[in-house]
Amino acid sequence: MEDKKVVLSARDIEVKFQVRSRVLTAIRNISLDIYDGETVAIVGESGSGKSVFTKTFTGMLETNGTISNGSVMFEGQDLTKLKTDKDWEGIRGAKISTVFQDPMTSLNPVRTIGYQIAEVIMKHQGKSAQEAKEMAIKLMEEVGIPNAASRYDEYPFQYSGGMRQRIVIAIALACRPKILICDEPTTALDVTIQAQILEFIKSLLKEYGFTTVYITHDLCVVANVADKVAVMYAGQIVEYGTVEEVFYEPKHPYTWALLSSLPQLGTKGEDLYAITGTPPSLYDQIIGDAFAPRNPYAMQIDFEEEPPFFQITPTHKAKTWLLDPRAPKVEPPKAIQNLHERLSAMVSKGGGYHG
Amino acid sequence: MKQYILGRVVRSIISIFAVVSIACALIYGLIPHEKIFNNDPTWKKIASDPVASITYKYQKWEDLGYVDFQNAGDICKLAGDDVDYNKCVRGTTDAFELVKAEWEAKGYTVMYKDDGTAYVKQGIDFYEEQPSLCKLTETGANYDECVKTRNSDLEKAVSSYIEDGYVLNYYNTGTLYAVRENTVPEIIFGYISNLVKIDTPWTVNDASNPNLERKIYPGLDHNNIPALKCSGCESQYLLYLDGKFPFIHQNIIKLNFGISYPTYSGLGTMDVIGQGQGDPVKNEVHYDTGLTAKSAVNLHSCKYKSSSTMSSDDAKKFATNYADCDTNKKDPSMIGTSYLFGILGIIVSYGIGLPAGILMAQKKDKWQDKLGIVYINVMIATPSLAFIFFMKMLGNKIGLPDKFPSLGFGSIKSYILPVIILGLLSTAGLMIWMRRYMVDQANSDYVKFARAKGLSQKEIFNRHILKNAIIPIVNGIPASIVLCISGAVITESVFAIPGMGKMLPDAINAANNNMIITLTFIFTSLSVISLLLGDLLMTLVDPRIQLSSKGDSR
Ligand SMILES: Nc1ncnc2c1ncn2[C@@H]1O[C@H](COP(=O)(O)OP(=O)(O)O)[C@@H](O)[C@H]1O
Ligand SMILES: [Mg+2]
Repeated sequence: MEDKKVVLSARDIEVKFQVRSRVLTAIRNISLDIYDGETVAIVGESGSGKSVFTKTFTGMLETNGTISNGSVMFEGQDLTKLKTDKDWEGIRGAKISTVFQDPMTSLNPVRTIGYQIAEVIMKHQGKSAQEAKEMAIKLMEEVGIPNAASRYDEYPFQYSGGMRQRIVIAIALACRPKILICDEPTTALDVTIQAQILEFIKSLLKEYGFTTVYITHDLCVVANVADKVAVMYAGQIVEYGTVEEVFYEPKHPYTWALLSSLPQLGTKGEDLYAITGTPPSLYDQIIGDAFAPRNPYAMQIDFEEEPPFFQITPTHKAKTWLLDPRAPKVEPPKAIQNLHERLSAMVSKGGGYHG
Repeated sequence: MKQYILGRVVRSIISIFAVVSIACALIYGLIPHEKIFNNDPTWKKIASDPVASITYKYQKWEDLGYVDFQNAGDICKLAGDDVDYNKCVRGTTDAFELVKAEWEAKGYTVMYKDDGTAYVKQGIDFYEEQPSLCKLTETGANYDECVKTRNSDLEKAVSSYIEDGYVLNYYNTGTLYAVRENTVPEIIFGYISNLVKIDTPWTVNDASNPNLERKIYPGLDHNNIPALKCSGCESQYLLYLDGKFPFIHQNIIKLNFGISYPTYSGLGTMDVIGQGQGDPVKNEVHYDTGLTAKSAVNLHSCKYKSSSTMSSDDAKKFATNYADCDTNKKDPSMIGTSYLFGILGIIVSYGIGLPAGILMAQKKDKWQDKLGIVYINVMIATPSLAFIFFMKMLGNKIGLPDKFPSLGFGSIKSYILPVIILGLLSTAGLMIWMRRYMVDQANSDYVKFARAKGLSQKEIFNRHILKNAIIPIVNGIPASIVLCISGAVITESVFAIPGMGKMLPDAINAANNNMIITLTFIFTSLSVISLLLGDLLMTLVDPRIQLSSKGDSR
């Protein structure tokens, strides 16, 4: 994997929002390399900054937000330097596409499906209306819309939720992007359709070979689709590694907490592990480890100094003082030991998204 | 779709009639019938004359459909051959006539009470009623006959009226009249069943012209333009063309809302609000007798005039009996006036309100938006009367007239102030809604996705936000256009514009009941129609809306 090419490299990203007269720091010094063809999952509780972080790749921060530090290198240029719609032309929606949470509302209700696909083809590939229509119909066929040609002029309300999500994905892939960001793309769909859509993205992945950034809080999805996992907490990545490493040898106590709160893992009679307390306020300056107040294993130093990343394997690193050689040896909670067997047992029971 | 519209239309018609019936019930049931005379100058003059005032009162009430009124003449004429008309009209018995003559010979005046019994009164001391008069006579008249108030002929004539519930009353001259009050449901039924009048060749009923031809035929009008003409109809022209909107006109089906009274007395209520106003306009006119004259006559409007009332002057001009014509007036009708101002006002308000609202949304939280919000707040907080007078003052400073009639319809200057005021008054609302719809759309998920697709802000705005935001506005446009007929009460009265605005309050003040009902009917119909039009328009701009009576979506 090391010989793979880095397609996007975020360095020391810091994002601040102006909220009335106060400043909120949503992202605090994140660095992340995304390799070509990989699927990276970003997990973490809601509000941890997953969406904001990926919005910096497409310049989609709301107007009150700024990237106050860092760089995002993509094809030799620093995306943080791009400001106007014109600067972004050819990148946003063309080379880096995003699919959002709710397929029911991602399409304009009063424009035809065809119009909304053709629009993006004409915009980025400079095709004529007729060519764009042909390409759009082909794309609709590729994403599995039956009678694509006759449904070209239909409106979103005439499509089912699953079909709409396929259309949204078709639009996102219309220009064969390098990177597809899926921001919780299935949460609004019911479970069976979610599974179909995931399978669908997976199959497209093989065919198109794009790189995927997958934002979700559903760890089963992660186990199913991702190569790498980044765990986010309070605007930082706290653990990063391959799926196997993060799931079966998690090192950060927050990852432990996340994993053990999986409802699917609850064995009968055992209480579900719930993370206590609330995340820190992003308005305040955070001293030490942001997770310390909620961390049952916190040490004195966690409240005083921010931990560095400790490299565990070449692909696995975590940001916790527990990995310091001086720290006492701590076992992960019982609930997530032998997660391997339990997770695979669960998946093979047919409950998950097994292909 | 067709079925849905049909259903809507049927329901609309039902609801219009329901509203009109309720209005009728309120007006006829709750307003005392005497009240309509309060504003009638004729009534003031004749109120002290006992005979004339009674006749006038009941005839007016009959015209308005409140009562059935029959005088002795009518009753006796219709009674049939076995009734002696003269005796019947006289009403009194022969025996009493003898007695009456005797008393009159003695210098007394015989008077009658309203139950028809006679009395004689002289000074303060002398007062005798009919029984004593008959007793004290020396003529030998039969007493039993003499005390009767009706002779046998009259008795025969009125018997059917008594059966039908008429109340018999007498003038102080002893002449009988019969009155039957219509109940409220009867009044409403009568009103509604007369609402639609269809003109046919058998409409005219003129005893003085038994040879009247009855036919509908294509012909030419006085300008040699083809028209559909009629003989025997009330109107001479059933269909005709002229240069006035909507260019083709018909006289076949007319809505008849009754006559206006006491204001604009005698005219049909529709004519009051629909006919031209101001001075007559004279033009060269070619009558069908070949006569050419300068006249304001509107030859397309001519109606049948009975042979007995045709004057020799009429005969010089008209070859047929269609000689009862309207005059062409200089100024538009009340409806036309209000409509003119309303449409101009709408152009101003949409022309300013929509772009301003759009700009505010585009520049949300920038100075343009803030300025707009200040404007909206000021407009909402200021009472409209204060705003109108303020604008009027400003207008006066730059030489615009402060009353419409001072320069009249002919001068552009007369329109500027009222139109700007009418327009500005509704900009605030439009701006608020337009801005709100735009901002709502701009925050929606599909706009976020459109941005992720790489569309520029401008493309998103033009292709997506604008269309979606305008949809709810479109729904209200027919209503604004159609309902401006009702006139702007305050603005019209401040500028003394001869429009519809003052009609409803005036009609209520004057107890012009038919006018109130007419206006109720018109305003209700227009509201219902404009709602329907608004919804139909929505189906054109919003694919999600499909008009259907059931769930079938295509
Ligand atoms: N436009 C904004 N203005 C102010 N705060 C914002 C804005 N967008 C996001 N945030 C804040 O940034 C943090 C991260 O948000 P987000 O990335 O959406 O979380 P999630 O991990 O659920 O996707 C949250 O605390 C959120 O309140
Ligand atoms: Mg999010």
